[in-house]
Amino acid sequence: MGQSIPFGQHIARPPMSARVGAGTTAKVESVPWTIWCMVAGVVCGTIGGPWDISWHMSIGRDTFWTPAHIMIQMTGVLVGIACAYMILTATFGHDAVTQGASVKIWGFRGPLGAFIAVWGCVAMLTSAPFDNWWHNAYGLDVKIVSPPHTLLSLGSLTIKIGLMALMAGLMSRAMERVRRTLGFLLLYVGATCVAQMGTILTTSTWPSEMHKAACYLAVAFAIPAVLIAPAWASQWRWGCTAVAGIYTTILLAFEWILPLFPAEPKLGPVYQHITHLVPLHFPLLLIVPAIVLDLLWRKTDEWGRWNLAAVTGPVFVLSFLAVQWPFANFLMSPAARNRIFGMAYFAYFDPANFLYDPYKFNGDETAGHFWKLILLALVFSVLTARLGFAWGDWMRRMRR
Amino acid sequence: MHRRMTGILVLIFVAAMSVSAHVGSSDVFFEGDAGPYHLYVTVRVPQVIPGIAEIEVRSAANDVEKIEIVPMRLSGAGSKFPPTPDVAERSKQDRQFFTGSLWLMESGALKVRVSVEGNKGKGEIAVPVPAFAQRTLPMERSLSGLLGFLMVFLAVGLVFIAGAAAREGNLELGETPSPARKRRARIVMAIAAIVVLGILFLGKAWWGAEATNYKRTVSFFKPPVAEAELENGNRLVIRAKGQDPEWSKEVKMEDVIPDHNHLMHLFLISTQGMDRMWHLHPERGEGGAFMDDLPSMPAGHYEVFADIVDKAGFPWTLVGQVDLPQISGKPLQGDDSTWTGPGLAAQPSDTKVAQLSDGGRIVWEKGTAPLVANTAMVFKFRVEDKDGKPAKDMEPYMGMAGHAEFVSSDMSVFAHIHPAGSVSMAALELASAGPGGEATTNGANMHSGMAMSMQMTSPSLEPEVSFPYGFPKAGDYRIFVQIKRAGQVQTGVFDARVQ
Repeated sequence: MGQSIPFGQHIARPPMSARVGAGTTAKVESVPWTIWCMVAGVVCGTIGGPWDISWHMSIGRDTFWTPAHIMIQMTGVLVGIACAYMILTATFGHDAVTQGASVKIWGFRGPLGAFIAVWGCVAMLTSAPFDNWWHNAYGLDVKIVSPPHTLLSLGSLTIKIGLMALMAGLMSRAMERVRRTLGFLLLYVGATCVAQMGTILTTSTWPSEMHKAACYLAVAFAIPAVLIAPAWASQWRWGCTAVAGIYTTILLAFEWILPLFPAEPKLGPVYQHITHLVPLHFPLLLIVPAIVLDLLWRKTDEWGRWNLAAVTGPVFVLSFLAVQWPFANFLMSPAARNRIFGMAYFAYFDPANFLYDPYKFNGDETAGHFWKLILLALVFSVLTARLGFAWGDWMRRMRR
Repeated sequence: MHRRMTGILVLIFVAAMSVSAHVGSSDVFFEGDAGPYHLYVTVRVPQVIPGIAEIEVRSAANDVEKIEIVPMRLSGAGSKFPPTPDVAERSKQDRQFFTGSLWLMESGALKVRVSVEGNKGKGEIAVPVPAFAQRTLPMERSLSGLLGFLMVFLAVGLVFIAGAAAREGNLELGETPSPARKRRARIVMAIAAIVVLGILFLGKAWWGAEATNYKRTVSFFKPPVAEAELENGNRLVIRAKGQDPEWSKEVKMEDVIPDHNHLMHLFLISTQGMDRMWHLHPERGEGGAFMDDLPSMPAGHYEVFADIVDKAGFPWTLVGQVDLPQISGKPLQGDDSTWTGPGLAAQPSDTKVAQLSDGGRIVWEKGTAPLVANTAMVFKFRVEDKDGKPAKDMEPYMGMAGHAEFVSSDMSVFAHIHPAGSVSMAALELASAGPGGEATTNGANMHSGMAMSMQMTSPSLEPEVSFPYGFPKAGDYRIFVQIKRAGQVQTGVFDARVQ
């Protein structure tokens, strides 16, 4: 005789631990499509960002629907689709592993990285009307770093942080082949973080600023964490080198490819005759300190994190200073005014008198002031390196 | 980039020396010839810079097929390479009317180059445009609410994400968080909340600093104060003082250049209903002060408007007030002029005829349509002799067929207009010059009133004069129309009520 179940009776689901089993390791056998989708979104942003800056330098402010803008928006769209899928399937689906590998926020379940990335998407979306109003109210379009632009950048960076956390969680239970792929993708996303921070630092790291301590202070403040964290999380012996290498490759690609496309200003006044897209400058030589760090870390296996940071930060700053300073001399020389090093490019809005001394280092700085800022950079580098290790360790421990 | 940005800022301030033409009347109204085509051009200057200017072009005849517009720097750097022009859209209802929008990316002395194609070939003209930030646009309540909600969502979301990360982020699959973890998560959330509040506080401070900087830019472009004082009984001394401390550093009175023959055009208008007006031309003294030995005038309280043109070729209007005692001064001479008559009535009706001192009169060909604010119009005036016949003794007055001053009853609007419009003559010359500053087709581009006026040997001008202009707001206005006949400057006064 069959049992009847009264209408409306609640059938309690067994607790998560009972369904999955604490400590269960559900092997990840392939990179999920959601990760590829999010990586594709980051790739779109990586292309769209520098392209958009170049567009503003060459053509000027244009419609909302420029290809560069669309690429940037695609970041939010692709990441949003992937995260929505992950959160909805974990919240409303019945797959025990999916639910077991999730955290709970406001009644929704999903991987922690997905929630972080969604936060980034919302921040990017918020920046759009904010930025539009900002330009209407203050008209400060010439600034890269403004409150709405910072919110946009923060959103974009948070998406990458979320994606790296997602990949780190998957890596902890992935098969070796998948783990390698995820590790490479993590390093790639880390490199896009470095590229993004480098773009934010554009004002401070313009070639004419490279003989000022403030340039190195800015780099010490912004770069170590985003360089170290993905490298540390990947646990690959050449992690830093890979991150810096990908960063360099991305920026060089833009510097060499963008000028191949014709462009002319749509806005005025025009101070420079523009016939093609104008790129930003040659990448910072982060590859050198990255190699030094990878070599250094082979000797520091047993060190505590603070000790490691206390050495890593200053080594990063001083090795960067040692190569970027003389390289700046080269960049300012006639030998760098070519397609390879890109020192002959100017935006349409660069005043004509800029032409008379664009190759002169800015400002006179007293030795006392210089070393004071360098000392400050060393202190900051310890803190930001420590942050990078903490972030990397957090990703290493990530499970959900 | 830093130096690049600094360069831009310096450029803004240098260019600032050439903006703020007129008072309370920022839009540009222009009449002139683009080759064979006679055009009326209006440029609605945006309230913030960078911002979008609305361009309206009307052709006097139905012979124009295409109009292209492009913004450039007025002269020097930035006037050499035009960006890709925008094609103005032709009205379907009115085939002689074209409109377009242009981004003005910089404050300062710009120009809009208008290129015309039609059945008479091609033509071109450049219209000077002073671009400057005028105010901060407030945030709409709906947008404010939306952004406020999103800010709270993001702030609270960040705190909860931090809590989830601490509670479950590194738990093995299926493991439930222990009470200790939950406790730690709450501590992390509290710390995250403090950090988020700190970030919001810093963000607010940053926003405030940016807004303050912007307000200073707006103040920089506000009309400078004309500090007027009387010395030695009848010598009026005028010194300029900007509304922002940077103004006096950037704008040097020693550098101002002549605009239609004079370094300064000074207007003293009685605040008692504008029943007296003097148009004088002080000379430059030491230390950048301007001074003029006043003619005889009664005691009274006067509004001071002083037009100057900086070395880049654009006008500033200094604004001030002065109390003057009874002056026993020199007779009027040269281009100086005056007018005395009834004050502006509390409820003025539109005046269409102004009597002149010799019995002649100026007739405003106004038509029957009401005057509407923010509408570009051509104010046409006909000059008749004492017999009611067209005057045959018209002469150029400071190089032009006439001058007109449009003044609102509360003195918040003052515009010194010429037959070519609201642009200064010096700016027009620079706008028409080549990139190196050399004059090119200036004479050919001028309004016919101007071109005629430059023929100084001509025995007589046509007895008509017109001024393109648009009232910036509703209210009561007084219009002073000044012409020269048989060696005498004459002023006709018209009152207007604008809806």
